[in-house]
Amino acid sequence: MDTNLPLDLPPNRFDPFPPGIEPEVPVPGYPNTWTHTPAQPLLRRPVTRTEVTGPMDLWRKLPCDESNLAVLAPGRIAMGQLTYMSGRILDEDGKPVRGAVVELWQANAAGRYFHPIDQRDAPLDPNFIGKGRVRTDEEGRYAFFTIKPGAYPVPVKDTWWRPPHVHFSVLGPSSLSRLVTQMYFPGDPMNEWDRILNSLPDPAARGRLIARQTHPAEVGDGWIAFTHDIVLRGRHATPEAP
Amino acid sequence: MTETLLPSSQHTIGPFFPRTFFNEGDNDLTRVNTEAPPSTRGETILLHGQVTREGGVPCLNAILEAWQADAGGRFNHPLDPERHLADPDFLGWGRTWTDEAGAFEFRTLMPGGYDDPAGHRAPHVNLTIMGAGLMRRVLATLFFPDFPAENAADPVLNLVPESRRAHIVAKLAGEEGGLRVFRFDIRLRGDPAEETPFFDD
Repeated sequence: MDTNLPLDLPPNRFDPFPPGIEPEVPVPGYPNTWTHTPAQPLLRRPVTRTEVTGPMDLWRKLPCDESNLAVLAPGRIAMGQLTYMSGRILDEDGKPVRGAVVELWQANAAGRYFHPIDQRDAPLDPNFIGKGRVRTDEEGRYAFFTIKPGAYPVPVKDTWWRPPHVHFSVLGPSSLSRLVTQMYFPGDPMNEWDRILNSLPDPAARGRLIARQTHPAEVGDGWIAFTHDIVLRGRHATPEAP
Repeated sequence: MTETLLPSSQHTIGPFFPRTFFNEGDNDLTRVNTEAPPSTRGETILLHGQVTREGGVPCLNAILEAWQADAGGRFNHPLDPERHLADPDFLGWGRTWTDEAGAFEFRTLMPGGYDDPAGHRAPHVNLTIMGAGLMRRVLATLFFPDFPAENAADPVLNLVPESRRAHIVAKLAGEEGGLRVFRFDIRLRGDPAEETPFFDD
């Protein structure tokens, strides 16, 4: 299978994140942020070729053929609210990022991850692994069929809860645009209490991580639908002529 | 007209990045996929290390990604003017996770250096570290002890206070199956004498 997408010239200008967008640490109630986050000042390195480039053909290494998390095998459907999640990967110029590798992972409907580290006393779903990987198309689109994840308590002293959320990992054509983020569901009161979402100082930045629900008719019967665009760092120093 | 959008915020990768995302050979930069033969254009080497947090405690399930030039100092990427000369069998990217001891391993080729407007870059590997408690990804650069003169002139290594530079020059740690092993330990948090120098870009 060699359907090499004609990738555009990737962005070559990377401004620092504007204020308010990046999470502030340490996060109260999240002890690992106090013990893991570097304490010494970060050194701002010049952007040379290693920083501005990245793997172009990563889909050859990472199979990008897993878009249905809800159906493990014929007849083996995960428990939970069947959900269709789609959107676009864009750069800061609003240009679609084509051929980006998009990874999604999440807890099951009971709020438990299929991972040996998650030993919480909540049921595992034998029909749900909870991870998928696709490659964006010509318009930068991705789409997954999944189930809506459950909320879960964070196992620390003075427990707090994570609202339902989905993890995204996006590998675009530049190391500088590598992004790992999370997506939240609209209208959930727990979003406003979430310590991780609230580590973003700018309310608008928090809002940009909350998906928008779309009319189920758009995906036919059986699925509720959410749309969520993700913007990677980077713009083009020389914009294309209009 | 191009519209201007603000970038999406980073969040932690959390403790549960799925093991099931990994395939055999994901930590092998020398092959473009599991079935492909490894590139042999250069010296195959192993990178071993351990990720620890404050107090030297090992980090379990830290996710590391490596990215580097091929043995000729080139990248198979449109922003490399010498892309046409890049090694087509070398991926230059790998990913792995740390075990209970915080240990990780990559298999790669000794990268080449290259000239850049910022100055001549010594052979190096860029590492991204993600994990529970890291709200943003952590960026490190690994240098090699083989190139003292190039290291001394490297514009990135020179940003590091002299007393901390040795932290990011890997140490030769013997051989394994005829391959040289380089050791690169990563201390995420500590006092200036302990913590690995990290970068922002």
